[in-house]
Amino acid sequence: MTKQKSGKLVRREKITALVFVSPLIIGFIVFTLVCMIISFGWSFTNFNPISGRMKFDGWGQYVDLFTHPTYKKAFLDSILNTLFLLLSIPVSIIISVLIAALMNSKKFKGKTVFRVIIYLPAVTSVVAVNYIWRYMFEENYGLINAFFHAHIPWLTDETLVKVAMIIKNVWSGIGTQVILFMAGMQNISDEYYEAAELDGAGPVYKFLHITLPLVTPVLFYTIITGLIGGFQMFADVELFAGGHYGARTIVFFIRNYGIGQNLYGLASAASFLLAAIIMIITALQFKFNKWVEYTD
Amino acid sequence: MEKKFKISNKTVSTVVLSLSYAIMIVLAFTMIFPYLYMVLTTFKPMGETVSPELKVFPIVWTAESYKEIWQLVPFGRGILNTMTVEVPVILVGTFTSALGAYAFAKMRMPCSKIILLVLMSSMMVPFAALFLPQYQIYSSLGLTNNLLPLILPGLFGNISMVFFFIQFMGGIPTALLEAAKIDGCGHFKSFLHIMLPLLWPAMAAQAVFWFLGIWNDYFAPSIYLTKEEVMTLQPLINRLNATQGGRDLPLVMTGAFLSSIPLIAVYLAFQKYFMSALSITSGIK
Repeated sequence: MTKQKSGKLVRREKITALVFVSPLIIGFIVFTLVCMIISFGWSFTNFNPISGRMKFDGWGQYVDLFTHPTYKKAFLDSILNTLFLLLSIPVSIIISVLIAALMNSKKFKGKTVFRVIIYLPAVTSVVAVNYIWRYMFEENYGLINAFFHAHIPWLTDETLVKVAMIIKNVWSGIGTQVILFMAGMQNISDEYYEAAELDGAGPVYKFLHITLPLVTPVLFYTIITGLIGGFQMFADVELFAGGHYGARTIVFFIRNYGIGQNLYGLASAASFLLAAIIMIITALQFKFNKWVEYTD
Repeated sequence: MEKKFKISNKTVSTVVLSLSYAIMIVLAFTMIFPYLYMVLTTFKPMGETVSPELKVFPIVWTAESYKEIWQLVPFGRGILNTMTVEVPVILVGTFTSALGAYAFAKMRMPCSKIILLVLMSSMMVPFAALFLPQYQIYSSLGLTNNLLPLILPGLFGNISMVFFFIQFMGGIPTALLEAAKIDGCGHFKSFLHIMLPLLWPAMAAQAVFWFLGIWNDYFAPSIYLTKEEVMTLQPLINRLNATQGGRDLPLVMTGAFLSSIPLIAVYLAFQKYFMSALSITSGIK
């Protein structure tokens, strides 16, 4: 094979490779890049597609989010609500780690059955999960109030609706986390535990000083994915809380003011602030997680 | 002395173990009970679900809701619509993802690292920052109340899937592909005949997760679809709830239950698969 010929082959290979990735590139340009640029542009205007109004407004929409008498409260409350709802992350992590540790014990039989059961909510229709829990939290004929002989306004009180949502989210989210933590714990070599046992360490000591430090990669992964998902919460605001003000998240605000009220400038500005938060979190993940270092 | 210590240690671990079982059984009950309650509710007459004297089991068993649901909303159509999104997206999208991953993993490509990095950056962009322009574009094309906005993006592949495939292909010896090249196979042919069969388990695992994601997608369908005839299952059941004023709980629970059956069936059938795919996706194993 002459040098020229092999050079030609390499060039052909490179072109073929580009053809193979072209659907991905086209998809990225059309559905992500272009839309992002448009939305970024809108965030500096007072665009309203119904009235056809579109004037350059500089940082005006961003300023409005924090100062305008009509939107300020709704926007800031949507941020506070979202942050409040993120509490489900630490709660479910604590529960999942403990369950995983229990199940990871060698003597514990029936792991598979329990794993299957715990993961069930993750493979249940979203509407179903939200409706069952909404029904159970109902004030007058819900099972939870009936059980405690109480009349707690779970779905109508601004704080309690978030608490109820957190409980529901923990229930539906721990399955994935338990499985991840169990996988992480199974990777820990028995030698560590054996050495600790020789020194007379009890189960609590082993958990705190061996298991926990060695599952930090999983911990990190669950926190990050929890944050990314948590900041984008939307479906349960409608399905579980019925759009209750106390449960409205940032994404709900964007949808509501964007498609609902046609204030595209304002909604785009909010969406860019959200995107910035998520990008920072994801960048952290890329930086710290071994998962991404596939090239090495 | 030594013997005594051993016995007490054994007792402790027995206590710990039985305590673990007790906790796990309570937990398992908490996980399963809402399902039971959902299914039992579907067999109740409407009045029983809103009575303050709540009973877990129906007093009068009725399957009325299972008849009504097909009449009150186009429920069958909803299933069909969901599948109309699922099938092309999963088939075409998985294929384009695998093909792209193959180029990244096994072929020489100019600027491959930069291209991959740029593509992966799209994982950082939340849908909330994209849907307003998308909505505006689709509605100016007259494509609202149409399934195309839900299908089109998926056809161009899924970048987290691509990433997963690249990792998987890294474990497949390049020598296998070199041999095919000597036999005169083109790149597409060696992808099709050598890589694809090897990639099959990874593809199936990823496709199952994607299937789940599309089935449960609520945000995008709720934006684009306002007419019942075009609605996918999730917004359709929400519509069912809204039109009934949230009062006909047995009916709503029937919708919720029926829309979960396919997912749970797939899950129970491929349970082992799910678990390993989950750990692989997160990079823990």
